Amino acid sequence: MPQLDTSTWFITIMSMVMTLFIVFQLKISKYLYPLNPEPKPTTTPNQLSPWEKKWTKIYSPLSLPQQ
Amino acid sequence: MNENLFASFTTPTMMGLPIVILIIMFPSILFPSPNRLINNRLISLQQWLVQLTSKQMLAIHNHKGQTWALMLMSLILFIGSTNLLGLLPHSFTPTTQLSMNLGMAIPLWAGTVITGFRHKTKASLAHFLPQGTPIPLIPMLVIIETISLFIQPVALAVRLTANITAGHLLMHLIGGATLALANISTSVALITFTILILLTILEFAVALIQAYVFTLLVSLYLHDNT
Repeated sequence: MPQLDTSTWFITIMSMVMTLFIVFQLKISKYLYPLNPEPKPTTTPNQLSPWEKKWTKIYSPLSLPQQ
Repeated sequence: MNENLFASFTTPTMMGLPIVILIIMFPSILFPSPNRLINNRLISLQQWLVQLTSKQMLAIHNHKGQTWALMLMSLILFIGSTNLLGLLPHSFTPTTQLSMNLGMAIPLWAGTVITGFRHKTKASLAHFLPQGTPIPLIPMLVIIETISLFIQPVALAVRLTANITAGHLLMHLIGGATLALANISTSVALITFTILILLTILEFAVALIQAYVFTLLVSLYLHDNT
């Protein structure tokens, strides 16, 4: 059976390793799968004031009930 | 006749130069790597198929197993394209060489086993003893499980080699029989039909790749995650 002739085994395995582990993987690593494009919202969300961003906002002077 | 039959499985050399290297590298030409956002039909089709296959195949893996995505995808593309190209007449199929299949099976299987040993040592050693075995049977069962573990890469390689080789041999034989019978009788139509059916069934060589990668994948899953 010619498959059992080990004289060619080295070069077959070397070229297979080269192809499989390097060439193919380089090709597939270049595939891009971008997300579908969506329209960007034109209105910006409501911006918070600095004292409304902190948890201590109930104690900030401007938010306490005014005297 | 024996010499002539196996002649197509010798690694091809042209005047002493090993052109088997070119033959093994040829299928990679059929998968162009694009640099565009929108590609032509061929590349889009290939990308879509790769995405479909990878989603199907990596669904059962956890995060650690999914790092093997690139390896598994290039494996299935390589073996699939090589087997399909081998169905052309007078072509050489590299996957009929036991050397190449052993070179693919042993490193990949060893990688999965070593990954399992490194990250989950106790769990991977526990594979050698199924649950609920009676105590007197334990030594024998450990031996049996060890043998079944070490036979996995050999089985992977020999399965692929034997299937592709057997398919090619059968096509040679039946084609030769058809030619010989053409001068004798018109039952040749029946035999030609058999060749056609055999070729179609052999196109399920692609299914064999599926089997190869699936087996490898199941092995990875078991060793890495369980």
